[in-house]
Amino acid sequence: MRPALLSVIAFSLIAGCGNALPPKELVDARAAYQAASKGPAAQQSPAELHVAKQALDRAEGAFSDEPDSAETKDYSYIATRKAELADASARAIIAQKDREGAEKEGINLTADQLKHARSELNSTKHNLEKTQDQLAAEKLAREAAEKKAAQALADLSKIAAVTKEARGMVITLSGSVLFATNEATLLPAAMVKLNEVADALIKGNPDSNITVEGHTDSQGQRQYNMDLGRKRAESVREQLVSRGVAADRIKAAGIGPDRPVANNTSAEGRANNRRVEIVVDPGKH
Amino acid sequence: MRKTLFITVILIASLLMACGSSVAPPSDRLSSAEAASRSAKELGANNDPKAQLHLKLATEQIDQAKKLMADGDNKRAELILQRANADAELSVMLAKEANAKTEADKAQQTVKKIKENK
Repeated sequence: MRPALLSVIAFSLIAGCGNALPPKELVDARAAYQAASKGPAAQQSPAELHVAKQALDRAEGAFSDEPDSAETKDYSYIATRKAELADASARAIIAQKDREGAEKEGINLTADQLKHARSELNSTKHNLEKTQDQLAAEKLAREAAEKKAAQALADLSKIAAVTKEARGMVITLSGSVLFATNEATLLPAAMVKLNEVADALIKGNPDSNITVEGHTDSQGQRQYNMDLGRKRAESVREQLVSRGVAADRIKAAGIGPDRPVANNTSAEGRANNRRVEIVVDPGKH
Repeated sequence: MRKTLFITVILIASLLMACGSSVAPPSDRLSSAEAASRSAKELGANNDPKAQLHLKLATEQIDQAKKLMADGDNKRAELILQRANADAELSVMLAKEANAKTEADKAQQTVKKIKENK
């Protein structure tokens, strides 16, 4: 062996003695502190990190005093825990902040939803009020229409005999009031009366279909009576239309002697049979 | 001669006493290590594997320290208790971390549910 190499080995041994290898515990402690100081602990838990640094310094001190002592290992062990604690503390603080953030977000979201629900409730309320107003208005209108119809019926009852039958409301006008004997032309007084009937029909039954029926007694030829009944019915219809009853909902029919309401053997009975009936169909009311 | 013997006995006795009482029993350290262990347990350290490990280490070292104190080795017991304390305190913090994470998860789940309900 060459003297130079020998001296290198000797030097290495001496140097080795001066710088004893650190125990595994201290290596771990240094690594743990390194990791903690580079992690979130620097920001979140500086106090705990400082304690960890002090613990590491103490371990380093023990190592330089007595490298192989139990104390060096113990202090290193403790320093490792302190570094880990600083790290765990930082993670706990971050989790706490996450929680607070989520709770805040939850509160804001809930508030938004509440606001939304409130505005929906308000609009529903508003719509309901509107519907109620409409219903009330409709009720008023219906009541007014019913009142009008009742008033019209009362008006009619004053000028003509009004009966309610299965075929509808029947307004019966005596033939002698409307026409001269064997005539189909309305008497002037009859026009006035029919105008009142027309007004009542427009007022009380503006949508109903109306049939005007011309009835006669059984005296004379049947065909003549049929024609007379039809002509009289048409005269009445024309008068009603001229007063404003819609032409498309009113028609005339000649019934003649076919449907007497009284005995044709007496003059009184025949007078009752000579008549015009205005039938207001209830179906389209 | 008798006097010399007496003095020697006194000297030896005082030396022995001095040795035995050179380090006082680390009762305070023991109490604080035990208190930290209890805290860790109450915080649910046994529900988290890492916290549980350090609680176990602390408990074992406390037992070890008690034996050392019974044998009169207060100096060694003192250091073992420092280790136990470090483990117990770490266990406390790990349990706190686990709890904080659970709470954060819960809060985030709630937010998710609220968003789904929208």
